[in-house]
Amino acid sequence: MNERELEVVWRRESPHVLAALLRRHGDLADCEDAAQEALEAAAKQWDPPPENPRGWLITVASRRLIDRARADAARADREQAVAEEPPRPEPPGRDDSLELLLLCCHPALTRTSQVALTLRAVSGLSTAEIAAAFLVPEAAMGQRLSRSRATLRETGARFGRPAPDELPARVAAVLDVLHLVFNEGYTRSAGDALLDGELTREAIRLTRELARALPDHHEVAGALALMLLTQAREPARADERGDLVPLADQDRSRWRREEIAEGVAILERVLPRGPVGRFQLQAAIAAVHAEAPDAAATDWAQIEALYDMLERVAPGPAVTLNRAVAVGMVSGPAAGLTIVDGLLGDPRMGRHHRTHAVRAHLLELAGDRAGAAQAYGRAAALTASLPEQRYLNRRAAEARR
Amino acid sequence: MKYVILIHSNPRPWGHPTADYVPEFQALPEEERAAMHADFERRLGELSERGELLGGEALGDAASARLYRWTDGEPLATDGPYSEAKEHLAGFFLIDVESPERAEEIAAQFASPGDTVELRATMWPGGDEG
Repeated sequence: MNERELEVVWRRESPHVLAALLRRHGDLADCEDAAQEALEAAAKQWDPPPENPRGWLITVASRRLIDRARADAARADREQAVAEEPPRPEPPGRDDSLELLLLCCHPALTRTSQVALTLRAVSGLSTAEIAAAFLVPEAAMGQRLSRSRATLRETGARFGRPAPDELPARVAAVLDVLHLVFNEGYTRSAGDALLDGELTREAIRLTRELARALPDHHEVAGALALMLLTQAREPARADERGDLVPLADQDRSRWRREEIAEGVAILERVLPRGPVGRFQLQAAIAAVHAEAPDAAATDWAQIEALYDMLERVAPGPAVTLNRAVAVGMVSGPAAGLTIVDGLLGDPRMGRHHRTHAVRAHLLELAGDRAGAAQAYGRAAALTASLPEQRYLNRRAAEARR
Repeated sequence: MKYVILIHSNPRPWGHPTADYVPEFQALPEEERAAMHADFERRLGELSERGELLGGEALGDAASARLYRWTDGEPLATDGPYSEAKEHLAGFFLIDVESPERAEEIAAQFASPGDTVELRATMWPGGDEG
């Protein structure tokens, strides 16, 4: 069995292997180590692979766990736990991935730790792969992972379904993490970034699994629709030099129709059922863009109405900023500028490049070219994205002409 | 998001930790200086343990720098320092953090009497088409 084949099996089986281990022995760090040792054993021994690779991996990993507990005198208390606790029966309708996701996105962890742990434990990526995806040294990623596992141990986080009253908040955290993974992948897929959508694909895969485990959860469906509708634009979002192409200028014939169709179909199914959450609303906004044959045909009134709703459901300055764009398109740039100017005093938004980029765009529409040039220049100075900076500098120069 | 924390200082003589060689820090009582050094070491350890510290180096004397400037179609080397400024780049740290707020919080902790700490975002190749 070659390395590539083994990796495919591993990515498919590792959440189930980990889940089975965690049901008997709650510590994530120990279970991951044991699962890793089972994988190494598989690499040496599988020729050909067994008929039931999952069962093989679970058996070998369980043995390693028990051996280690016995060998480690300092862990005498846990040895007892392993030896005495009978294996728990597997619950019907196994949703190992869901329970693992809930553990990895435990509220005691920071967002970055939740993201790292999810990719390690649920996706089965190696520490080196996660480090490469986030462009940090492997040692730093290793530290984050160890720290996350230690935090879970200290807080006594358990593998399994949380109480029903906790579930909505816990699922919301999982969605935030998956959306963050998606965004990391999507925003890196421009310019000279090395990463080619591995993270976006993984986020969509995990959200699909989550939607299978929680078919009646409309926000999970909404998050999946949002990812699909965003991902659909990927072929048009950068030009051949790797520079970002703004939404208004994208060649919409290059948008992937099948992803749009799937996203729209999901929305049509869940939106009428209400209540409507932020992912459904953001997906609905993306769908309105997707349905316009060109930028000029965009139904901005519809988008403004959706941002109004989004601001009520999930208020925040970033949402207000987006609403300002829609208001500017519907009621004229002056109305949009009034909203943006209200955000300049916010300590975070005043230093955020997008506030100034939106302001520049609205000033340009209002015919104030000098003001627009200055605001584009300010936005260019504040962004940390190379392609965005090139774009904003270009717009500033054009407005100055 | 990644940031560099640049430490600008004018240790006399050049040395590290720079604080030990600047008058503003030397003027503090011994216990206070020891406490600040210990604090700094602890914070550095914490950053590393959280996986936020990606690297960093203390730099050699600015007077020992070699400068290369393009002159008559080729690089011409001269001896440093680069500028007549009072303070020189004395060291740097590279951090990777969750938010600009966290970067600012960390940078503020690197401040020390007599030094100037500069926080700069690093540019990245991705972006949002907006």
